[in-house]
Amino acid sequence: MINQDAICLDALSVDFDGRFQLSDVRWAIQPGEHWLIAGANGSGKSALAAVLAGDGECLSGTRSGLPDRVALVSYERQAELIEAERRKDDADILDVISQGTPVAEIIDAVCQDHELAQTLVDTLGLRPLMGRAFRKLSTGETRKVMLIRALSSRPDLLVLDEPFDGLDHESLMWLQDHLGVLAKTVPMVIVLNRFDECPEFITHIAYVDHGHLLHQVKRDDERAFAELYQLLHLKTSELEVPMADPAARLPALNSSDPLVRFTGASIRYGDNTVFENLDWTIEANQHWQLSGPNGSGKTCLLSLITGDHPQCYVNDIMVFGFQRGSGESIWQIKQYIGYVSTALQWEYRVGTGLRNVIISGFFDSIGLYSKSTEMQKAIADQWLALLGMTARADEPFNGLSYGDQRLLLIARAMVKHPPLLILDEPCLGLDDMNRQLVLALIERICMSSETTVLYVNHRAEDHIHGIDNHLTLSASSV
Amino acid sequence: MSNNYFNTLPLREQLAELGKCRFMHLAEFTDGVDALKGKKIVVIGCGAQGLNQGLNLRDSGLDVSYTLRSAAIEQKRQSWKNATENGFTVGTYEELLPTADVVLNLTPDKQHTPVVNAIMPLLKHGACLSYSHGFNIVEEGMQIRDDITVIMVAPKCPGSEVRAEYVRGFGVPTLIAVHEDNDPNGDGLALAKAYAVGTGGHKAGVLMSSFIAEVKSDLMGEQTILCGMLQTGSLLCFDKMIEEGIDPGYASKLIQYGWETTTEALKYGGVTNMLDRLSNPAKIRAFDLAEQMKDIMRPLYKKHQDDIMNGTFSKTMMADWANDDAELLGWRADTAETAFEKTAAADVEISEQEYFDNGILMVAMVKAGVELAFETMTAAGIIADSAYYESLHETPLIANTVARKKLYEMNATISDTAEYGCYLYNHACVPLLGDFMKDIRSDVIGKGLDLDDTGVDNARLIEVNEAIRNHPVEQIGGVLRGYMADMKQII
Repeated sequence: MINQDAICLDALSVDFDGRFQLSDVRWAIQPGEHWLIAGANGSGKSALAAVLAGDGECLSGTRSGLPDRVALVSYERQAELIEAERRKDDADILDVISQGTPVAEIIDAVCQDHELAQTLVDTLGLRPLMGRAFRKLSTGETRKVMLIRALSSRPDLLVLDEPFDGLDHESLMWLQDHLGVLAKTVPMVIVLNRFDECPEFITHIAYVDHGHLLHQVKRDDERAFAELYQLLHLKTSELEVPMADPAARLPALNSSDPLVRFTGASIRYGDNTVFENLDWTIEANQHWQLSGPNGSGKTCLLSLITGDHPQCYVNDIMVFGFQRGSGESIWQIKQYIGYVSTALQWEYRVGTGLRNVIISGFFDSIGLYSKSTEMQKAIADQWLALLGMTARADEPFNGLSYGDQRLLLIARAMVKHPPLLILDEPCLGLDDMNRQLVLALIERICMSSETTVLYVNHRAEDHIHGIDNHLTLSASSV
Repeated sequence: MSNNYFNTLPLREQLAELGKCRFMHLAEFTDGVDALKGKKIVVIGCGAQGLNQGLNLRDSGLDVSYTLRSAAIEQKRQSWKNATENGFTVGTYEELLPTADVVLNLTPDKQHTPVVNAIMPLLKHGACLSYSHGFNIVEEGMQIRDDITVIMVAPKCPGSEVRAEYVRGFGVPTLIAVHEDNDPNGDGLALAKAYAVGTGGHKAGVLMSSFIAEVKSDLMGEQTILCGMLQTGSLLCFDKMIEEGIDPGYASKLIQYGWETTTEALKYGGVTNMLDRLSNPAKIRAFDLAEQMKDIMRPLYKKHQDDIMNGTFSKTMMADWANDDAELLGWRADTAETAFEKTAAADVEISEQEYFDNGILMVAMVKAGVELAFETMTAAGIIADSAYYESLHETPLIANTVARKKLYEMNATISDTAEYGCYLYNHACVPLLGDFMKDIRSDVIGKGLDLDDTGVDNARLIEVNEAIRNHPVEQIGGVLRGYMADMKQII
């Protein structure tokens, strides 16, 4: 029967033996809804599922409307049961060989639907094991026992944490079918690592990150669903940043030179001074965060590096071994820089296909005006795969959502593995989901490449792990 | 006043100069900016072309500074601000010109004679003087010192576009030329090529032309199809729609954005593609209307070309210069008072296709104007490549300016010379099309054909299609757009 009350977690913070905490969870499961909990490893998916079964110590907030009979299948529960079985093994004390509790007994202990239990035992191939000690079973076998216990207990709420893990193909197919039927009468919450396995009957998705329930998305909201899919893809797949183009190696930089050195830099418009006397050095592999209020000159400062600010010619600026204004061309500078900003996105109003937008990063151009090599195309395709956009390679860039455009421009900036990656408020104008998509991609890049990152941001929550140096511009001067 | 240089040449040389025009291949630019590397480039004037070309040249690794008249510097005028805020050295003619290797004259046509007379004594021996329009040399017969190399580098876009395209990593189509009478060291072409690379023009396509071909074709194009036809067409179409009871806001919007939208099709696939965007019956109507207008306007196009060739146009305009631009300013004010200019575009949705379907007459006007300008130029000895660039190629660029802020923006963006010619054309063309417009109804402008049956006669359609596709502007257009497509793989 369907539990008629909504399950409500309100501002709930829960501690799990001091090992993990869920914070400020606000979640309502209405009758008739089936939820999928998704998130990266260690994000708190299992904890959130366990909270529904009453686990964890409530620190603050409330949980209400939880039904009496909640069946939870999870690794933790499985481990607990095995541990309990082990403790029963008092062979040390009695000097007899303990056989442990047989599987049949384990199942019977909670069984409310004997007929179903027997069908499940046959279907999942456990019949020959019924007499064996539970603790002697393999992991996959114990998992099946756990499932049978849960399904045959006539639960009011079924919570399944990675139910498909370790099941053979046939059992998996059967279980999925069975859950589909069960969903008509029993509300379900399922934790899954792989989004592709999301069963048809799921109506909502909860996304968990660092112990917070960050997003709640309706299954039929196609756009939000697609974004969540991408986010999970970035968070959960084993990603490798695609290689640079070996045929188009950048002229080598002298490793003892800093990437950027400003000596007494200033920017003035008429009598108005944006900043002055700025000394700043960026050494290779020294990630920087640049912050400051609006109008403090952050973007100006960056454009002195990229050469987009005309006053780079009247300042003492050394970039990538070039003293600015000594006869170097701007393309010699730009080849060492990957750049992403809202302004670039506005500039990039082109109908070029996604693959070509990425390839344009090899040429530092907006739009593609040069013939690209097969290698460059292949590398661009690897980036598209990393972004989860392979199927959309030939769609026009200006047809993408704002967040997807941003992701693509980051890939464009990184495609040549620039010594310096400049991200000017890469999360600006993005909704929460897209912000996390972008941050997830940047974190990947910081972790897995030789690129020095210069990151402009003033929202504390958009901090990126691994960026340790800070330059703060004040409203009028440094 | 000096002599008209073109008129001093024998016919044989006139024809030879008019016939100069060659599309250069990217491979001809492998030397990059080397010919200008380390040379001191001084730009005269810091308006839109001056500033933006200078920014590009400096970003290409060249040494650029600006010289302005001392009054502009002392009074810190806009040109002075433009240059200094962008971190350029600014100095007087006397301070900068004696050491300059290459001097870029990017002042308006009208100032060329006084500017060149003022700087000539200051230029060092063997320096190079560059123009971006040949009017001063060709129409005013300016004589430059024998030791000085005279070249022209003319980006075929407004200054803001010259910069924007460079920053994107591309460039704008550029015309270059060497004044044969002033190429003492034989390095004029090398300097012009390096300059075109420095502004990014080589990536978008460079036409090697002559001062004469540039002036005579540029004047013709801008006066007739490019600015004149758009102005006349805007005014006539708007008034007709009001007469036919179309909502003024809708009419205003259909015209303001209609030129840009329909000529975008022209940019991609010529007149053929623009007409192909219409239904078959609409295409035949547009074709017929264009044929009628071509017959009516042909004498006007010939007159413009003749006046340009024999110097009547430049003489007339220079007389107005001498009269403090009285005519130009008066016409400018008149344009601002027209119903089209004063009626704001309504906030209504017009789909891309609707601009074609409801703007059949506008499509016909563009077709008529492009073909007539091209036919008239080539008949006057201008080579087809030049005629193509000065007619069909530039029409979408000018149409973009109308989309931004109507005729005001178009006339503010183009040179005073073009604006003057545009008004001349408009004053003649509006009455000329008067009778033709009497028979026009909202089915070809404002509402679109209201047909139950869109069937057409096969033979007639074939005939019309052949006539459109076989026009010479389509032949050369196919070739030149092919070159462009090679360079600009993705737009």
